[in-house]
Amino acid sequence: MDSITTTLDAVCLASQIILESGGETYRAEETVERMAQGLGIPRVDVLALPTGLMLTLTLKEDASISRLVRVHSRNTDLSRIDECNNVSRMVADGRMNAEEALKALTDIKRPRKEKRGAMIAASAVTAACFTVMLGGSWYDFAISFFCGALVQWVLTPLSRMRVPPLISSMIAGALTTLLALVGTLVLKEAHVEPIIAGAIMPLLPGLATTNAMRDTIRGDLVSGGARLGEAILSVMMLAAGIGLTLSMWGGVGL
Amino acid sequence: MSWWIQLLSCGIAAASFSVLLKQPKNTIPVSSLIGMLGYSIFLLLHQTTLGYFLATLAIGILCEVSARIMKRAATLFVTGAIIPLVPGVGLYRTMRFAAEGRYSQAVQTGVATLLGICGIAMAITISSVLVTALWHRGAKKRGKA
Repeated sequence: MDSITTTLDAVCLASQIILESGGETYRAEETVERMAQGLGIPRVDVLALPTGLMLTLTLKEDASISRLVRVHSRNTDLSRIDECNNVSRMVADGRMNAEEALKALTDIKRPRKEKRGAMIAASAVTAACFTVMLGGSWYDFAISFFCGALVQWVLTPLSRMRVPPLISSMIAGALTTLLALVGTLVLKEAHVEPIIAGAIMPLLPGLATTNAMRDTIRGDLVSGGARLGEAILSVMMLAAGIGLTLSMWGGVGL
Repeated sequence: MSWWIQLLSCGIAAASFSVLLKQPKNTIPVSSLIGMLGYSIFLLLHQTTLGYFLATLAIGILCEVSARIMKRAATLFVTGAIIPLVPGVGLYRTMRFAAEGRYSQAVQTGVATLLGICGIAMAITISSVLVTALWHRGAKKRGKA
């Protein structure tokens, strides 16, 4: 039998990784419940929120242990969620004990070397291809490619400097619009609309919105509402960045 | 641009967006194909609000089913597949009209965009509930047989 602290550590770490990587809250809760059952804990009560997690493991009639975990930063990393799922499934099936699970989860949690070049390339390709999808020409494709690359290139240091995500989403919107406007000034054949519309696609909070819906259906109303609020605010900030740049550009009168 | 270039670029964009989300590698082709299919349904339905709803419904059902076949979380597929449908053009037009002071047009476009987003959200909800319920029933039947 594993010591109770190891069990608690493993269970907490699993759900913390899921919440930090942008997973749904019900997934974090289910992971805790399934792992605890697999590790032989008779009763577990857990409440997960996008910003934190509380849980109580009850061992016997009068012996229970609780812990509160705060979740500060939230990124999108679907492969971490997937790896966490695998570990929790193995624990639930009894193929892994708490100590092994804790080791595996610590490995998953460890910060990975960011492939920055690959991320910039992916962002550029995403923006450029969305521009073509929305009816852009090859000129628009080229400008949008640079928009996507520039935004990703700027966003990474911003998140490292702990600029709030809402602010960086406004900066991203403004930068995209500015580059698109300058680009169409240089390349007369290009159109602004498909460039901006395509380049902001990767910046829209798609994961937050789908998670908000999935959380709400499951009855996690607090998490669903919180995530929906986050998504709406982030779209509004992005739109504010675009709108501000457009009106300033119009004011300059180019 | 001809329609097949647009569809192809839709697939490439969906795939490279999945890379940005750090989706596990073997799920990327699946979600990109589903995204392409969903976007072609949306184009066939003339980009209406109903089109948003039905295209997302198809995407949601396909993602939930492939998630169960590949024994992975459905979120891994849905996020990458749904992104081509997100109304970025509507958002841009709304802001452009607002910046130019054409407020009635801004409200008009804004409401249409919002309705599209509502359609997407509703379809995700319905497809997830539907597949979960039907799959559960099917599993029970298989267990008895």
